[in-house]
Amino acid sequence: MLLLEGATYRYAGYATEVLHDVDLRLDDGEIVGLVGPNEAGKSTLCLVASGLAPASVGGSLKGTLTLDGTPAAGLETHELAQRVVVGFQNPNTQRSGIAATVFEEIAIGPMNLGLPVTETVARTREAIARLRLEHLVERDPQRLSGGQAQLVGIAALLAMRPRHVILDEPTAQLDPAGTHLVGEALRALAGTGASLLIAEHKTDLLDEVCGRIIVIDGGRIVLDGPTAAVFDDPRLAELGVEPPARARLSRALVERGVDPAVVGQAIASAAG
Amino acid sequence: MSVFTRAGTTVLFTIGPFDATLQGVDFAGQTLVRLLAISTAIGLFGLTTEPRSFVLDLERRGLSPRFAFVALATLEAVPAMVERASVIASAQRARGLDTEGSIRARLRGLLPLVGPVILSSLTEVEERSLALEVRAFGKPGRRQLLWRIPDSGAQLAVRSLLMLALVAAIAGRLTGTFPALP
Repeated sequence: MLLLEGATYRYAGYATEVLHDVDLRLDDGEIVGLVGPNEAGKSTLCLVASGLAPASVGGSLKGTLTLDGTPAAGLETHELAQRVVVGFQNPNTQRSGIAATVFEEIAIGPMNLGLPVTETVARTREAIARLRLEHLVERDPQRLSGGQAQLVGIAALLAMRPRHVILDEPTAQLDPAGTHLVGEALRALAGTGASLLIAEHKTDLLDEVCGRIIVIDGGRIVLDGPTAAVFDDPRLAELGVEPPARARLSRALVERGVDPAVVGQAIASAAG
Repeated sequence: MSVFTRAGTTVLFTIGPFDATLQGVDFAGQTLVRLLAISTAIGLFGLTTEPRSFVLDLERRGLSPRFAFVALATLEAVPAMVERASVIASAQRARGLDTEGSIRARLRGLLPLVGPVILSSLTEVEERSLALEVRAFGKPGRRQLLWRIPDSGAQLAVRSLLMLALVAAIAGRLTGTFPALP
């Protein structure tokens, strides 16, 4: 379980806090979506929840982060990396810059951990299979499209076999098929007991994979609840978050007089 | 030059005020052979050794992973920087920047490119270092390398012979068998 309690965070050199008294709990096997308008604090929350802020980023944090019962404050960054990983939006910065092939790029995490070759290769192959990247393994990581690079970046994180995964807009450069593929991989990862936090503007993906949604605004959590309940909340539009197509369709039908029970049943059967 | 400038007693021919001596020709010949040996060795190394494989093999033989990373990242950074510069140049041209024409015009057009290329590289550094940390780059000790560069028996034999030749050359020099250049 990842537990963040009373987190108030300020970047180094900034006069004001970016996060205010944030509590976040990710249970094992749980996928939680994080949405909010631009500059709401989503990326900062990702950094703080991963332990990189303040450990690597600097700044000051009030509050505590606990990973599976261990306080993160006393952990070295490589020890943190074995418990929680974080993926960033820009696939170019995800590349190590030292790998000649995609296979090696994905293997770098397990290689850094000093795992035996068989274990390193097994983890790498598993991550490649999860995101169906077999056709890219011999390619130069610098010569990939944005979407391919994003998938490779996520695969590199999966190869770490982390207990907790935090992704900041993991599908920003992906087409619908790639987005769906990532959704499947994340669900499979959660099935192994890992917990996931996904900051994402594509609410359709979150609607598909998340059991819970958190809405952040101005560095504070303003909504936190089951996916359907949060995405059906009328306050979402005021917060600059577009609800998923399912929620928009449902609302439109209800506004035109269709029985909400019938709408719910129809959407549930279509999704099933 | 040393053919004419080297002092010597046996004059071979004269051009104007300059005497070409046998000692000068001997010295020039030895220097030429040494330069040829050095440049051939460097050229041969460059042509036959892939830099990545070289650095990874050094890491396998004990080079610090951090040093190896710096060396490899530098190799990879050059094409990435060229690509970034090309993208920024296209973007600036789309906004009307003139990068063609006379040398002066090209130099003038260069200035608006340098800033964005350097700044965008710097802004990526922090996120890139975080992404590496997430993949346990900071873990102390050796990392696991997946590939061993093929090393045949013939290569090992040639390397051993060359090492012996080196030792013999040093020994010859120390004992006076191979005297220093006069």
